[in-house]
Amino acid sequence: MHKLLAQQVAKATDDNGSLDLDKLWTLVGAAYEDADRDRRRTDRSMSLMIEELDGVQHNLEQTVIARTKELRAREAELEAQNVRLDVALANMSQGLVMFDRDARLVICNQQFISMYRLDNENIKPGDTLEHILDRRAANGTFSADAGHYARNLSTAIEAGLQTTQFLELTDGRTVAIVRQRLASGGWVATHEDITERRQAENKIAHMARHDALTDLPNRVLLRERLNEALALVERGHKLAVLYLDLDLFKNVNDSLGHPTGDELLRQVGDRLRRCVAANDTISRVGGDEFFIIQTNIGDATDAERLARRISEAVKAPYDLHGHLVVIDASIGIALAPTDGSDANELLKNADMALYGAKASGRGIYRFFEPHMDARMKDRRALELALRQAFDDNQFELYYQPVLNLDKGDVRCCEALLRWHHPERGMVSPVEFIPVAEEIGLIVALGERVIRWACEDAAKWPDDVCVAVNLSPTQLASKNLLPTVLGALASSGLSPHRLELEITEAVLMQNSEVNLRTLHQLRELGIRISMDDFGTGYSSLSYLRSFPFDKIKIDRCFIKGLGDSSEADAIVHAVAGLADSLGMTTTAEGVETRAQLDLVRSLGCTDVQGFYYSPPVPMRELSQILAKQPQKKVAAA
Amino acid sequence: MRAQQVVWNHRSGWTPAEAGADKVPLVLYFGTREALSNGVRFNELRIMFPAAHILGCSTGGQINNNDVNDDEIVAAAISFDATRLLLCREEISDPNNSRTAGEAIGHALAGDELAGVFVLSDGLNVNGSELVAGIGSVIGPSIPLTGGLAGDGADFKETLVGGDCAPRPRSIAAIGFYGSAIRVGHGSAGGWDLFGPRRQVTRSVGNVLFELDGEPALDLYERYLGPEESKGLPSSALLFPIQVYDVKAPDSAVVRTVLAIDREARSMTFAGDVPQGWTAQLMRGNLDRLAAGAADAARQARDGLAVQDLGGRPGNECLSILVSCIGRRLLMGQRTIEEVEAAGAELGTDTLRLGFYSYGEISPHAKSGLCELHNQTMTVTTLAEVA
Repeated sequence: MHKLLAQQVAKATDDNGSLDLDKLWTLVGAAYEDADRDRRRTDRSMSLMIEELDGVQHNLEQTVIARTKELRAREAELEAQNVRLDVALANMSQGLVMFDRDARLVICNQQFISMYRLDNENIKPGDTLEHILDRRAANGTFSADAGHYARNLSTAIEAGLQTTQFLELTDGRTVAIVRQRLASGGWVATHEDITERRQAENKIAHMARHDALTDLPNRVLLRERLNEALALVERGHKLAVLYLDLDLFKNVNDSLGHPTGDELLRQVGDRLRRCVAANDTISRVGGDEFFIIQTNIGDATDAERLARRISEAVKAPYDLHGHLVVIDASIGIALAPTDGSDANELLKNADMALYGAKASGRGIYRFFEPHMDARMKDRRALELALRQAFDDNQFELYYQPVLNLDKGDVRCCEALLRWHHPERGMVSPVEFIPVAEEIGLIVALGERVIRWACEDAAKWPDDVCVAVNLSPTQLASKNLLPTVLGALASSGLSPHRLELEITEAVLMQNSEVNLRTLHQLRELGIRISMDDFGTGYSSLSYLRSFPFDKIKIDRCFIKGLGDSSEADAIVHAVAGLADSLGMTTTAEGVETRAQLDLVRSLGCTDVQGFYYSPPVPMRELSQILAKQPQKKVAAA
Repeated sequence: MRAQQVVWNHRSGWTPAEAGADKVPLVLYFGTREALSNGVRFNELRIMFPAAHILGCSTGGQINNNDVNDDEIVAAAISFDATRLLLCREEISDPNNSRTAGEAIGHALAGDELAGVFVLSDGLNVNGSELVAGIGSVIGPSIPLTGGLAGDGADFKETLVGGDCAPRPRSIAAIGFYGSAIRVGHGSAGGWDLFGPRRQVTRSVGNVLFELDGEPALDLYERYLGPEESKGLPSSALLFPIQVYDVKAPDSAVVRTVLAIDREARSMTFAGDVPQGWTAQLMRGNLDRLAAGAADAARQARDGLAVQDLGGRPGNECLSILVSCIGRRLLMGQRTIEEVEAAGAELGTDTLRLGFYSYGEISPHAKSGLCELHNQTMTVTTLAEVA
């Protein structure tokens, strides 16, 4: 009997052992119902579960499909990234290399391989740094101990050091290495061949301290060397500073052109190099000026010997593009510690010594002497006084009449500048005009003279003109033409009554531009005269190069008249030539009646000099002009 | 220790007590709500055992040795040689106070020689997990805590618990065993089979489950139960208990059973927590494996007692209390008796075995050893004294 049925029978049997059949059927029926219900539940739950699991499986499949698609896309993206990375690595200008925490190669690009002449076959990921260094040692791009170097580098990178390094390779190349530690351990490094950059930097550094023309040290390096040498002076050494300037170098530039001048400077530099000792310094500080630092001298005679040697060397003839040129050098010498122990002082004193040498003539050397300093101070005081005079207008114009020999009257007066210094009294133009030239005051002063002269002349009789001297600097100034036009306009003076005097020197310098300016002035009606004729080259070609209105024969010829037949002949010839060219001639410096008669007989048309009248102030000139017959002088 | 069985039925009333009933210190009894609710049966026991702590509750069926029935009241009168007892009782008005009530019981029973606690609780108005946690937090994890939640057949209307008083709703009563002589064995096992996909608890608050995998939990149950059995909710939901576990600690898996449903909110209330984020999987029962589970629980409880101390004793010197889930009975129907027989075979047929079908079982976890509320299990508590 089934266990359950046995239980049911037991339940349906009462205490007396009689079986209650109704109860039994109920129990049995309920058991069947239990079984049916259980089967239905099982069926239902199983089919639902299958349905759910189908759903889950479907979702899983969809997820797998989606994930696979996603992974494929990511894979493609990674591949694209890898390609991009490869392209980036291959196109870097630097070599790139990456090592892991064990100093084993992860990746490097072709530039790295080529830079160190490595071989693609021999360098593989996983190779140790030491192995790569060994390979480099074998091909000569590495010279240290590979193992030691690799260990030190790893330690330094661990410690966060060694980020940038410049390595000089044995083959002369310079490589800049920048290393970056990686978070995962190891490092990435870029290697850049900076040889050319280094060379360019070195070249720039050289250029900053050397003269491009001669490749001699420039003023910057001169100062450094001088300071270094002076440090030794403090320990008992002696040195000399020689300041050299070529005499009349400007003439070479002007006559033969700048390229030739440059070639001369180069050759001078070469000769100087041969004159000095290895430790000495030669520097070109501009134009035709050179400094020489002579170190470790015994006494002044060593410097003197060098100066003489240099003089001799410079003096020897030069072959400049087929031109044979001879030039002298003036040299100023200052000694340390005697003449100064700091660079500025020594250079200044050498400059003064040079100035002294130039003043004493050309082609000589001079040692610095304390009185030079005093003279320099005087000159400086004169400069200051001159500037003050310009501001305070301590100047006055004097006029020297020029007598016309034919008519016996004054046709022209030369304006001459006078400086009344409140303490120094009357200062000579010979003294202050060069200073004004040097300090750049000459143009402004010249403009003032032109303006005053025009204003004064406007008050004279109509047939008397005024002559004004033009300095070469003034003629070269762009302001000349506007200044002259302005002076004429504001004074109302006719251009025919203004005469501008130039010297030969004006035509020697930058003559083309000067000639153009002179032509422009002459076209306005202004007269142009050649002053001091005979003191320069007295080249007749100058007379041909411009249609001067007048030639003024220098006083030195007049002074010699009667004593030498040569002077008479020259004056006669000049007067004749001028006449034939349609120019008048003025004899300057006529002091006696005899000279007057002589120049008249030699053919000069006008005279100027103390015989007739010294330069006089405007007031006195008015009186002179008033005495002349048939002349009217406007009130002064 | 001696345990004597006493049974009540309509026809005969109580079976007579043995001599010395006036000195018996502890009586346990279990009966249907109808049989206990008028308080008469308690009063009869009080007269029969004037010195005893009397602890009992309503059930979903009584276990009397190898029999399972709904028409008897089963009781055990237990005498001890060297074990002291302490009974306490707590009212529970709101399930949210379950932990507090548990702590109060723990404080009432805690003592140096406390060796074990057996607790009976209201089965509908309490969060069993919180109650157990509350008691455990005071007495500590080393004291065995067993017991169960009272039942109400398949009705889920009202459950009763009495501790030295007539059984009443919203009541919790516990008895503490003290001294070095008492031995408490325990075992717990389900035997349910997991089935269907694993689901995630996507919305829950405490022991109220709203959604699994984003779908109302009640929809899932209704689909599985079908239209006919859905009418029997919440008790029919016992056919499909769920196992829940934290994916980070798979050993924590516990089985949860339904106490109530809310058709408006589409939610289900379980006898213990169903934490949001945990994994849940439906379970279904197979008669043979449920019986095997009961045998497993009995074996654990038997092995939990020190066997050498019990060697050669008569069966009545040992008592086994079986607390099994109402869900098991609903599934097994008339064949429920097979799990009781399977457990009895392990415990020894001469040992007194009584117990009840509950709304929740309390026993240490078979793997973790921590006291927990179980559902859908058979739990067995064995008591014995050593000389």
